[in-house]
Amino acid sequence: MAGVSTKEIKNRIKSMESTKQITKAMEMVAASKLRRAQTQVLCSRPYFEILYETINDIVDSNREFSSPYLLPRTGSRVAYVVIAGDRGLAGGYNSNILKLCYAEMEGKNASVLPLGKKATDFFHARQMPILTEAYSVAEDVSVGDCFTMAKTLCKAYLAGEFDEIRVGYTNFVSVLSQTPATLRLLPLLRQQTTEKKPSGPEILYEPDSGAVFDAIIPEYLGGILYGALCESRAAEQAARRTAMDSATSNAEDMIADLSLKFNRARQAAITQEITEIVAGA
Amino acid sequence: MTSFPLKIVTPDGLLFDGQAEELIVRTTSGDMGILAGHLPCVAPLGMGRAVIVTDGQRRYAACIGGMLSVTDQGVTLVPTTFEWADRIDVPRAEASEKRAKTVLANKSASDADLRLAEARLKRALVRKSVGSRQF
Repeated sequence: MAGVSTKEIKNRIKSMESTKQITKAMEMVAASKLRRAQTQVLCSRPYFEILYETINDIVDSNREFSSPYLLPRTGSRVAYVVIAGDRGLAGGYNSNILKLCYAEMEGKNASVLPLGKKATDFFHARQMPILTEAYSVAEDVSVGDCFTMAKTLCKAYLAGEFDEIRVGYTNFVSVLSQTPATLRLLPLLRQQTTEKKPSGPEILYEPDSGAVFDAIIPEYLGGILYGALCESRAAEQAARRTAMDSATSNAEDMIADLSLKFNRARQAAITQEITEIVAGA
Repeated sequence: MTSFPLKIVTPDGLLFDGQAEELIVRTTSGDMGILAGHLPCVAPLGMGRAVIVTDGQRRYAACIGGMLSVTDQGVTLVPTTFEWADRIDVPRAEASEKRAKTVLANKSASDADLRLAEARLKRALVRKSVGSRQF
Protein backbone atom coordinates (compact mmCIF):
# COMPACT_ATOMS: atom_id res chain seq x y z
CA MET A 1 0.00 0.00 0.00
CA ALA A 2 2.50 2.52 1.22
CA GLY A 3 4.88 1.68 -1.63
CA VAL A 4 2.31 2.54 -4.30
CA SER A 5 1.45 5.81 -2.69
CA THR A 6 5.08 6.93 -2.39
CA LYS A 7 5.54 6.14 -6.06
CA GLU A 8 2.45 8.10 -6.97
CA ILE A 9 3.62 11.07 -4.98
CA LYS A 10 7.04 10.84 -6.57
CA ASN A 11 5.44 10.98 -10.03
CA ARG A 12 3.37 14.00 -9.12
CA ILE A 13 6.42 15.80 -7.79
CA LYS A 14 8.24 15.06 -11.01
CA SER A 15 5.46 16.43 -13.20
CA MET A 16 5.16 19.47 -10.96
CA GLU A 17 8.89 20.07 -11.34
CA SER A 18 8.65 20.09 -15.10
CA THR A 19 5.63 22.40 -15.04
CA LYS A 20 7.58 24.71 -12.80
CA GLN A 21 10.47 24.69 -15.21
CA ILE A 22 8.20 25.69 -18.06
CA THR A 23 6.47 28.50 -16.19
CA LYS A 24 9.81 29.72 -14.93
CA ALA A 25 11.19 29.81 -18.47
CA MET A 26 8.10 31.60 -19.74
CA GLU A 27 8.43 34.12 -16.97
CA MET A 28 12.01 34.82 -17.91
CA VAL A 29 11.16 35.19 -21.60
CA ALA A 30 8.29 37.53 -20.73
CA ALA A 31 10.56 39.54 -18.46
CA SER A 32 13.12 40.12 -21.17
CA LYS A 33 10.43 40.94 -23.74
CA LEU A 34 8.83 43.24 -21.21
CA ARG A 35 12.04 45.20 -20.81
CA ARG A 36 12.15 45.82 -24.55
CA ALA A 37 8.44 46.66 -24.75
CA GLN A 38 8.76 48.97 -21.78
CA THR A 39 11.50 51.08 -23.38
CA GLN A 40 9.42 51.23 -26.54
CA VAL A 41 6.41 52.46 -24.58
CA LEU A 42 8.48 55.07 -22.80
CA CYS A 43 9.83 56.27 -26.15
CA SER A 44 6.51 56.40 -27.94
CA ARG A 45 4.45 57.78 -25.07
CA PRO A 46 5.41 61.45 -25.55
CA TYR A 47 4.49 61.10 -29.22
CA PHE A 48 1.16 59.53 -28.39
CA GLU A 49 0.37 62.22 -25.82
CA ILE A 50 1.54 65.23 -27.78
CA LEU A 51 -0.23 64.04 -30.90
CA TYR A 52 -3.46 63.56 -28.97
CA GLU A 53 -3.16 66.94 -27.23
CA THR A 54 -2.28 68.81 -30.38
CA ILE A 55 -5.19 67.38 -32.33
CA ASN A 56 -7.59 68.05 -29.48
CA ASP A 57 -6.32 71.63 -29.21
CA ILE A 58 -6.91 72.12 -32.90
CA VAL A 59 -10.38 70.62 -32.69
CA ASP A 60 -11.28 72.67 -29.61
CA SER A 61 -10.14 75.98 -31.01
CA ASN A 62 -11.48 75.32 -34.46
CA ARG A 63 -14.72 77.03 -35.31
CA GLU A 64 -14.74 78.04 -38.90
CA PHE A 65 -15.43 74.96 -40.94
CA SER A 66 -16.90 71.53 -40.76
CA SER A 67 -14.76 68.67 -41.91
CA PRO A 68 -16.54 65.30 -42.14
CA TYR A 69 -14.10 64.10 -39.48
CA LEU A 70 -15.47 66.55 -36.94
CA LEU A 71 -19.21 66.06 -37.33
CA PRO A 72 -21.03 63.67 -35.02
CA ARG A 73 -23.05 61.10 -36.92
CA THR A 74 -26.33 59.63 -35.85
CA GLY A 75 -25.91 56.06 -37.09
CA SER A 76 -24.75 53.19 -34.94
CA ARG A 77 -22.29 51.49 -37.25
CA VAL A 78 -19.11 51.32 -35.26
CA ALA A 79 -15.76 49.94 -36.31
CA TYR A 80 -13.67 48.58 -33.49
CA VAL A 81 -9.94 48.07 -33.67
CA VAL A 82 -9.31 45.55 -30.91
CA ILE A 83 -5.73 44.90 -29.84
CA ALA A 84 -5.12 41.65 -27.96
CA GLY A 85 -2.36 39.08 -27.79
CA ASP A 86 -1.40 36.15 -30.00
CA ARG A 87 -0.99 33.66 -27.19
CA GLY A 88 -2.70 32.80 -23.95
CA LEU A 89 -1.20 32.19 -20.53
CA ALA A 90 -1.09 35.88 -19.83
CA GLY A 91 -3.45 36.04 -16.89
CA GLY A 92 -6.52 38.16 -17.55
CA TYR A 93 -4.89 40.18 -20.32
CA ASN A 94 -6.81 38.81 -23.30
CA SER A 95 -10.13 38.17 -21.62
CA ASN A 96 -10.24 41.60 -19.95
CA ILE A 97 -9.88 43.60 -23.14
CA LEU A 98 -12.08 41.28 -25.20
CA LYS A 99 -14.85 41.31 -22.62
CA LEU A 100 -14.74 45.09 -22.33
CA CYS A 101 -14.99 45.55 -26.09
CA TYR A 102 -17.68 42.91 -26.49
CA ALA A 103 -19.80 44.51 -23.77
CA GLU A 104 -19.46 47.89 -25.46
CA MET A 105 -20.47 46.52 -28.82
CA GLU A 106 -23.76 45.21 -27.45
CA GLY A 107 -26.67 46.83 -29.22
CA LYS A 108 -24.48 48.52 -31.79
CA ASN A 109 -23.99 47.59 -35.37
CA ALA A 110 -20.35 46.83 -34.80
CA SER A 111 -17.65 45.39 -36.98
CA VAL A 112 -14.20 44.47 -35.80
CA LEU A 113 -10.63 44.84 -37.00
CA PRO A 114 -8.83 42.42 -34.71
CA LEU A 115 -5.11 42.64 -33.94
CA GLY A 116 -3.80 39.45 -32.43
CA LYS A 117 -4.79 35.85 -32.82
CA LYS A 118 -6.81 35.77 -29.62
CA ALA A 119 -8.95 38.70 -30.73
CA THR A 120 -9.49 37.16 -34.17
CA ASP A 121 -10.59 33.83 -32.68
CA PHE A 122 -12.83 35.49 -30.10
CA PHE A 123 -14.83 37.55 -32.61
CA HIS A 124 -14.93 34.68 -35.07
CA ALA A 125 -16.54 32.47 -32.47
CA ARG A 126 -19.17 35.13 -31.82
CA GLN A 127 -19.89 35.62 -35.51
CA MET A 128 -19.02 39.30 -35.53
CA PRO A 129 -18.35 40.87 -38.91
CA ILE A 130 -14.59 41.10 -39.31
CA LEU A 131 -13.10 43.77 -41.55
CA THR A 132 -9.77 42.15 -42.28
CA GLU A 133 -7.63 39.43 -40.80
CA ALA A 134 -4.45 40.80 -42.29
CA TYR A 135 -3.23 41.86 -38.86
CA SER A 136 -4.10 38.74 -36.94
CA VAL A 137 -0.55 38.34 -35.68
CA ALA A 138 -0.07 41.27 -33.33
CA GLU A 139 3.64 40.67 -32.96
CA ASP A 140 4.28 41.28 -36.67
CA VAL A 141 2.38 44.56 -36.92
CA SER A 142 4.78 47.43 -37.62
CA VAL A 143 4.52 51.22 -37.60
CA GLY A 144 3.98 51.11 -41.35
CA ASP A 145 1.08 48.68 -40.91
CA CYS A 146 -0.51 51.07 -38.41
CA PHE A 147 -0.39 53.89 -40.93
CA THR A 148 -1.79 51.74 -43.74
CA MET A 149 -4.56 50.58 -41.42
CA ALA A 150 -5.33 54.18 -40.48
CA LYS A 151 -5.54 55.19 -44.13
CA THR A 152 -7.96 52.36 -44.94
CA LEU A 153 -10.12 53.19 -41.92
CA CYS A 154 -10.22 56.88 -42.83
CA LYS A 155 -11.24 56.08 -46.38
CA ALA A 156 -14.01 53.80 -45.16
CA TYR A 157 -15.13 56.45 -42.68
CA LEU A 158 -15.28 59.14 -45.35
CA ALA A 159 -17.19 56.81 -47.64
CA GLY A 160 -19.78 56.54 -44.90
CA GLU A 161 -19.24 52.88 -44.10
CA PHE A 162 -18.94 53.65 -40.39
CA ASP A 163 -20.33 56.32 -38.11
CA GLU A 164 -17.68 55.90 -35.48
CA ILE A 165 -14.24 54.34 -35.12
CA ARG A 166 -13.01 53.16 -31.75
CA VAL A 167 -9.91 51.38 -30.57
CA GLY A 168 -9.78 48.89 -27.69
CA TYR A 169 -6.38 48.44 -26.08
CA THR A 170 -4.74 47.80 -22.73
CA ASN A 171 -3.05 50.61 -20.87
CA PHE A 172 0.32 49.73 -19.43
CA VAL A 173 0.08 51.46 -16.07
CA SER A 174 2.89 49.60 -14.39
CA VAL A 175 4.40 46.13 -14.34
CA LEU A 176 1.75 45.06 -11.84
CA SER A 177 -1.24 46.91 -13.23
CA GLN A 178 -2.75 47.00 -16.70
CA THR A 179 -6.14 48.47 -17.47
CA PRO A 180 -8.16 47.77 -20.60
CA ALA A 181 -9.69 50.84 -22.22
CA THR A 182 -11.44 52.01 -25.35
CA LEU A 183 -10.89 55.30 -27.09
CA ARG A 184 -12.89 57.07 -29.78
CA LEU A 185 -10.72 57.86 -32.78
CA LEU A 186 -13.33 59.32 -35.10
CA PRO A 187 -15.29 61.53 -35.23
CA LEU A 188 -13.21 64.05 -33.33
CA LEU A 189 -15.61 65.90 -31.10
CA ARG A 190 -15.12 68.98 -29.06
CA GLN A 191 -14.80 68.30 -25.38
CA GLN A 192 -17.89 69.95 -23.94
CA THR A 193 -16.33 70.32 -20.51
CA THR A 194 -13.61 72.70 -21.58
CA GLU A 195 -15.40 75.81 -22.74
CA LYS A 196 -12.66 77.40 -24.77
CA LYS A 197 -12.63 81.16 -24.84
CA PRO A 198 -13.31 82.32 -28.36
CA SER A 199 -10.54 84.92 -28.10
CA GLY A 200 -7.05 84.67 -29.52
CA PRO A 201 -6.07 84.71 -33.15
CA GLU A 202 -7.54 82.34 -35.65
CA ILE A 203 -5.47 79.32 -36.53
CA LEU A 204 -3.86 79.60 -39.89
CA TYR A 205 -4.24 76.47 -42.00
CA GLU A 206 -1.71 75.92 -44.71
CA PRO A 207 -2.77 75.41 -47.56
CA ASP A 208 -6.40 75.31 -46.33
CA SER A 209 -8.34 73.74 -43.50
CA GLY A 210 -9.91 70.92 -45.51
CA ALA A 211 -6.61 69.82 -47.02
CA VAL A 212 -4.87 70.04 -43.65
CA PHE A 213 -7.42 67.82 -41.97
CA ASP A 214 -7.43 65.34 -44.84
CA ALA A 215 -3.66 65.00 -44.54
CA ILE A 216 -3.36 65.09 -40.77
CA ILE A 217 -6.19 62.85 -39.61
CA PRO A 218 -4.88 59.61 -41.14
CA GLU A 219 -1.45 60.40 -39.66
CA TYR A 220 -3.04 61.06 -36.30
CA LEU A 221 -4.98 57.82 -36.44
CA GLY A 222 -1.87 55.86 -37.39
CA GLY A 223 0.12 57.43 -34.57
CA ILE A 224 -2.56 56.72 -32.01
CA LEU A 225 -2.95 53.14 -33.21
CA TYR A 226 0.78 52.61 -32.97
CA GLY A 227 0.82 54.06 -29.46
CA ALA A 228 -2.07 51.82 -28.43
CA LEU A 229 -0.25 48.82 -29.90
CA CYS A 230 2.91 49.61 -27.94
CA GLU A 231 0.93 49.99 -24.73
CA SER A 232 -0.87 46.72 -25.33
CA ARG A 233 2.31 44.82 -26.11
CA ALA A 234 3.98 45.97 -22.93
CA ALA A 235 0.82 45.20 -20.96
CA GLU A 236 0.70 41.70 -22.43
CA GLN A 237 4.27 40.90 -21.41
CA ALA A 238 3.73 42.38 -17.97
CA ALA A 239 0.55 40.36 -17.49
CA ARG A 240 2.28 37.19 -18.67
CA ARG A 241 5.24 37.77 -16.40
CA THR A 242 3.00 38.25 -13.37
CA ALA A 243 0.87 35.24 -14.24
CA MET A 244 3.89 33.01 -14.76
CA ASP A 245 5.52 34.31 -11.60
CA SER A 246 2.51 33.29 -9.53
CA ALA A 247 2.28 29.95 -11.38
CA THR A 248 5.91 29.24 -10.49
CA SER A 249 5.41 30.07 -6.85
CA ASN A 250 2.25 27.94 -6.78
CA ALA A 251 4.23 25.04 -8.21
CA GLU A 252 6.89 25.54 -5.55
CA ASP A 253 4.24 25.48 -2.82
CA MET A 254 2.77 22.28 -4.17
CA ILE A 255 6.17 20.64 -4.47
CA ALA A 256 6.95 21.51 -0.85
CA ASP A 257 3.59 20.10 0.21
CA LEU A 258 4.07 16.91 -1.79
CA SER A 259 7.63 16.38 -0.53
CA LEU A 260 6.34 16.51 3.02
CA LYS A 261 3.66 13.94 2.17
CA PHE A 262 6.23 11.80 0.41
CA ASN A 263 8.56 11.78 3.40
CA ARG A 264 5.70 10.95 5.75
CA ALA A 265 4.60 8.04 3.58
CA ARG A 266 8.16 6.75 3.34
CA GLN A 267 8.59 6.99 7.11
CA ALA A 268 5.25 5.24 7.65
CA ALA A 269 6.32 2.38 5.38
CA ILE A 270 9.60 1.91 7.29
CA THR A 271 7.86 1.99 10.64
CA GLN A 272 5.34 -0.56 9.45
CA GLU A 273 8.10 -2.84 8.19
CA ILE A 274 9.91 -2.69 11.54
CA THR A 275 6.71 -3.41 13.44
CA GLU A 276 6.06 -6.42 11.22
CA ILE A 277 9.59 -7.79 11.75
CA VAL A 278 9.46 -7.24 15.51
CA ALA A 279 6.00 -8.82 15.76
CA GLY A 280 7.12 -11.84 13.64
CA ALA A 281 10.25 -12.53 15.77
CA MET B 1 17.62 86.41 -31.60
CA THR B 2 14.33 85.69 -29.88
CA SER B 3 13.74 82.02 -29.35
CA PHE B 4 10.63 79.93 -28.96
CA PRO B 5 9.95 76.55 -27.33
CA LEU B 6 10.14 73.72 -29.83
CA LYS B 7 9.23 70.08 -29.38
CA ILE B 8 9.95 67.35 -31.88
CA VAL B 9 8.34 63.98 -31.23
CA THR B 10 8.29 60.88 -33.37
CA PRO B 11 7.09 57.36 -32.59
CA ASP B 12 10.71 56.66 -31.60
CA GLY B 13 10.69 59.22 -28.85
CA LEU B 14 11.12 62.87 -27.97
CA LEU B 15 13.98 64.02 -30.18
CA PHE B 16 14.11 67.67 -29.26
CA ASP B 17 12.67 69.67 -26.44
CA GLY B 18 14.07 73.13 -25.92
CA GLN B 19 14.45 76.62 -27.27
CA ALA B 20 14.99 77.24 -30.96
CA GLU B 21 15.45 80.43 -32.90
CA GLU B 22 14.31 79.29 -36.28
CA LEU B 23 12.69 76.27 -37.85
CA ILE B 24 12.36 75.56 -41.54
CA VAL B 25 10.38 72.53 -42.63
CA ARG B 26 9.02 71.21 -45.88
CA THR B 27 5.23 71.20 -45.71
CA THR B 28 2.99 69.77 -48.40
CA SER B 29 2.73 73.26 -49.87
CA GLY B 30 6.43 74.07 -49.77
CA ASP B 31 9.12 75.13 -47.36
CA MET B 32 7.90 77.08 -44.37
CA GLY B 33 10.00 79.08 -41.96
CA ILE B 34 8.96 79.66 -38.38
CA LEU B 35 10.35 82.39 -36.14
CA ALA B 36 9.33 83.37 -32.63
CA GLY B 37 5.90 85.00 -32.45
CA HIS B 38 4.47 83.16 -35.43
CA LEU B 39 0.68 83.07 -35.83
CA PRO B 40 -1.00 79.89 -34.61
CA CYS B 41 -0.87 77.61 -37.58
CA VAL B 42 -1.22 73.99 -38.59
CA ALA B 43 0.32 72.37 -41.64
CA PRO B 44 0.84 68.81 -42.83
CA LEU B 45 4.46 67.93 -43.50
CA GLY B 46 5.82 66.71 -46.79
CA MET B 47 9.16 65.03 -47.31
CA GLY B 48 12.27 67.11 -47.10
CA ARG B 49 15.05 68.77 -45.26
CA ALA B 50 14.37 70.47 -41.96
CA VAL B 51 16.62 73.17 -40.53
CA ILE B 52 16.67 74.03 -36.86
CA VAL B 53 18.63 76.96 -35.54
CA THR B 54 19.55 76.75 -31.87
CA ASP B 55 22.08 79.06 -30.23
CA GLY B 56 23.13 80.28 -33.64
CA GLN B 57 23.92 76.72 -34.77
CA ARG B 58 22.17 75.30 -37.80
CA ARG B 59 21.22 71.66 -37.56
CA TYR B 60 19.88 69.69 -40.48
CA ALA B 61 17.57 66.72 -40.52
CA ALA B 62 15.46 64.63 -42.83
CA CYS B 63 11.83 65.08 -41.87
CA ILE B 64 9.11 62.95 -43.42
CA GLY B 65 5.34 63.01 -42.96
CA GLY B 66 3.32 64.12 -39.98
CA MET B 67 2.36 67.62 -38.99
CA LEU B 68 3.50 70.96 -37.69
CA SER B 69 1.52 72.84 -35.12
CA VAL B 70 2.25 76.37 -33.96
CA THR B 71 0.35 77.65 -30.94
CA ASP B 72 0.82 80.52 -28.52
CA GLN B 73 2.58 78.12 -26.19
CA GLY B 74 5.15 76.95 -28.68
CA VAL B 75 5.87 74.92 -31.75
CA THR B 76 5.28 71.18 -31.97
CA LEU B 77 6.65 69.15 -34.82
CA VAL B 78 5.13 65.67 -35.04
CA PRO B 79 6.78 63.91 -37.98
CA THR B 80 6.50 60.23 -38.83
CA THR B 81 10.26 59.99 -39.17
CA PHE B 82 12.88 62.54 -38.26
CA GLU B 83 16.60 61.92 -38.53
CA TRP B 84 19.42 64.30 -37.77
CA ALA B 85 21.77 64.62 -40.72
CA ASP B 86 24.73 63.13 -38.85
CA ARG B 87 22.71 60.05 -37.92
CA ILE B 88 21.65 59.17 -41.44
CA ASP B 89 23.08 56.01 -42.87
CA VAL B 90 23.82 57.16 -46.43
CA PRO B 91 24.83 53.76 -47.87
CA ARG B 92 21.60 52.30 -46.54
CA ALA B 93 19.59 55.08 -48.17
CA GLU B 94 21.44 54.43 -51.43
CA ALA B 95 20.68 50.72 -51.22
CA SER B 96 17.05 51.52 -50.59
CA GLU B 97 17.05 53.88 -53.57
CA LYS B 98 18.48 51.18 -55.79
CA ARG B 99 15.90 48.62 -54.63
CA ALA B 100 13.07 51.05 -55.25
CA LYS B 101 14.38 51.85 -58.71
CA THR B 102 14.51 48.19 -59.72
CA VAL B 103 10.88 47.79 -58.65
CA LEU B 104 9.88 50.90 -60.58
CA ALA B 105 11.72 49.67 -63.67
CA ASN B 106 9.80 46.41 -63.53
CA LYS B 107 6.82 46.84 -65.87
CA SER B 108 4.84 43.96 -64.41
CA ALA B 109 4.88 45.18 -60.81
CA SER B 110 1.47 45.65 -59.22
CA ASP B 111 0.01 49.08 -58.51
CA ALA B 112 0.44 48.75 -54.77
CA ASP B 113 4.08 47.71 -55.17
CA LEU B 114 4.73 50.64 -57.47
CA ARG B 115 3.24 53.09 -55.01
CA LEU B 116 5.28 51.63 -52.16
CA ALA B 117 8.45 51.75 -54.24
CA GLU B 118 7.78 55.33 -55.24
CA ALA B 119 7.34 56.39 -51.63
CA ARG B 120 10.48 54.50 -50.69
CA LEU B 121 12.43 56.16 -53.48
CA LYS B 122 11.32 59.60 -52.32
CA ARG B 123 12.30 58.84 -48.75
CA ALA B 124 15.64 57.46 -49.83
CA LEU B 125 16.40 60.51 -51.95
CA VAL B 126 15.56 62.88 -49.10
CA ARG B 127 17.76 60.90 -46.71
CA LYS B 128 20.60 60.71 -49.18
CA SER B 129 20.60 64.40 -49.96
CA VAL B 130 20.34 65.45 -46.32
CA GLY B 131 22.85 62.84 -45.17
CA SER B 132 25.47 63.77 -47.73
CA ARG B 133 24.71 67.48 -47.36
CA GLN B 134 23.90 68.13 -50.98
CA PHE B 135 21.13 70.62 -50.57
